[in-house]
Amino acid sequence: MTAATSAMVPLAFDHVSHWYGDVVAVNDVSAVVEPGITGLLGPNGAGKTTLLQLAAGLMGPSGGTVRVFGETPVRNPEIFRQVALVPEREALPGMLSARAFVEARATLLGLRNPRAAATAALEMVEMDTVADRAVSGFSKGMRQRTKLAAALVQQPRLVLLDEPFNGLDPRQRLHMMQLLEARAAEGTAVLLSSHILEEIEGVASRILVMLAGRLAASGDHRTLRRMMTDRPHTVRIRASNVRALASQLVVEPAVSGVDMDGADALHVRTTDYTAFSRLLVRAAKRGDVTLFDVQPTDESLEHVFAYLVQR
Amino acid sequence: MVVHSASASGGVADYGPVSYPRTALVLMRLAWARTGSPLLILGVLAVLCLPVLFSLIFASRGALSGDPIDFLLARYDTIVAGLATPLIALLLGTSAFSAETDDGTLLYLVTTTTPRWWIVTARLLFAALLTGVLTSLSVFAAGFVAVGLSNPEGIVSAYTVAVFYGGVTYASLFTMLALLTRRSLVVGLVYVLFWEGALSETFQAIQYLSVRKWMTAIAEPMIAGGGDASGPSAAYALVAAAVVVAVTVFVGGRRLHEPRMGRIGS
Repeated sequence: MTAATSAMVPLAFDHVSHWYGDVVAVNDVSAVVEPGITGLLGPNGAGKTTLLQLAAGLMGPSGGTVRVFGETPVRNPEIFRQVALVPEREALPGMLSARAFVEARATLLGLRNPRAAATAALEMVEMDTVADRAVSGFSKGMRQRTKLAAALVQQPRLVLLDEPFNGLDPRQRLHMMQLLEARAAEGTAVLLSSHILEEIEGVASRILVMLAGRLAASGDHRTLRRMMTDRPHTVRIRASNVRALASQLVVEPAVSGVDMDGADALHVRTTDYTAFSRLLVRAAKRGDVTLFDVQPTDESLEHVFAYLVQR
Repeated sequence: MVVHSASASGGVADYGPVSYPRTALVLMRLAWARTGSPLLILGVLAVLCLPVLFSLIFASRGALSGDPIDFLLARYDTIVAGLATPLIALLLGTSAFSAETDDGTLLYLVTTTTPRWWIVTARLLFAALLTGVLTSLSVFAAGFVAVGLSNPEGIVSAYTVAVFYGGVTYASLFTMLALLTRRSLVVGLVYVLFWEGALSETFQAIQYLSVRKWMTAIAEPMIAGGGDASGPSAAYALVAAAVVVAVTVFVGGRRLHEPRMGRIGS
């Protein structure tokens, strides 16, 4: 990548690693964030927040390089003319009003007219009617929007958001999505983290999946959704006659294994969850078995991500 | 629902050069927002009352039957320079950065274009000025108890200058401490009580590393008849304070480039 093209790329990680003492938080991550909305998906502790901090230059990587519009962000306050970071934590200076807080940010960012910039940003997040109230009395959603106004006040070209949908009601969530989409349509690069796929699959055109500090997968949400659905599943079934049910299931092509679990339950491994859910009912009917309980045992996000890493 | 686009509502961001006075005012306002807790204000008031309280106690026990000037000098050295000034500077110097580090709002300072050294300087000025103004009240009040409204040998005015000097120096130390450790209040308290309170009185060599003794060195040349010639000179004290301020701005500025905030997430 030439220097000219590098300066056009909002954010690029090149074999980036970061560790705190013995703990590896980010492990050899390479990715590029283009204009538009990119989701950063992963369970808690996956390294998402560390990656965002590295992108904002709040710390240098232990290995590899981070480039923001072609520049190294660490020890480079000038990048904050183009970059904004919205933290997950809710805390704000409680004695200040939302307007005073956003205006303070605008002043510290060196904007010529902080008051006008703060007013515009607060209107953008629909906080203008309560802007003169102290933030200490704000709900979680109002705090999120105040934080967003403080980030958008300088109209950054790269916005980093850490779990931005936390605490928002459905209407506020929709509004924030529309707001981010409007920014992205104007050419802003948005990188937002979440541990919930449904939260970002509707808004992010590309998703980076992180697990245990590693970049486990990347692609659009359809690709990731397919990866997650088509993986092997294990299902625990309680039934009236588990031996009869096991004999019916073991011959099915979609079933890769059956283990007994005591006298009234069995674990079934399947490679095609959709097909299995249909054949299970037929098998139970053929064997004259009553199903009491059907429970997937590996549906947690960690299991899903672990599968993606092992692929 | 209307979604405003950035360009429609605000236009392209218009940056100017860094305005040092404007950013300093904002930084001080943010510091005040974190400092103005009722508990902290009560703590500062309690410390402020100490010199007056001690003066009243000694006065009521007849300690003032001796030389009131000696009495006043002793109170200023021990209570004002050794206790009230450092404790108030500790509370004011550490409160803003410590609170911001703990709750993560430091992020809103370090994700701006304001030079980091200026952030530290503005916070240091905030703590120093407040410490100086508040402690000078103690100086006047204790002076009034001991010698009324007079200013014998220029002691009261000399120590007013000295507490402003001490405010800057102590505030620098504690501002740096707040950026270097999460336990700045405890470490600072140990420093005030043991280093400034006990050790600087016990070991002569420590006088050259004691802000309390530097304050005395600043005050003494302004008192008619001079004072104790031993210990650090006023010139030494001024240079030492300049070094402390410079180190604080340099080290604090570097620390703010890569702040130790832990997680910015919850």
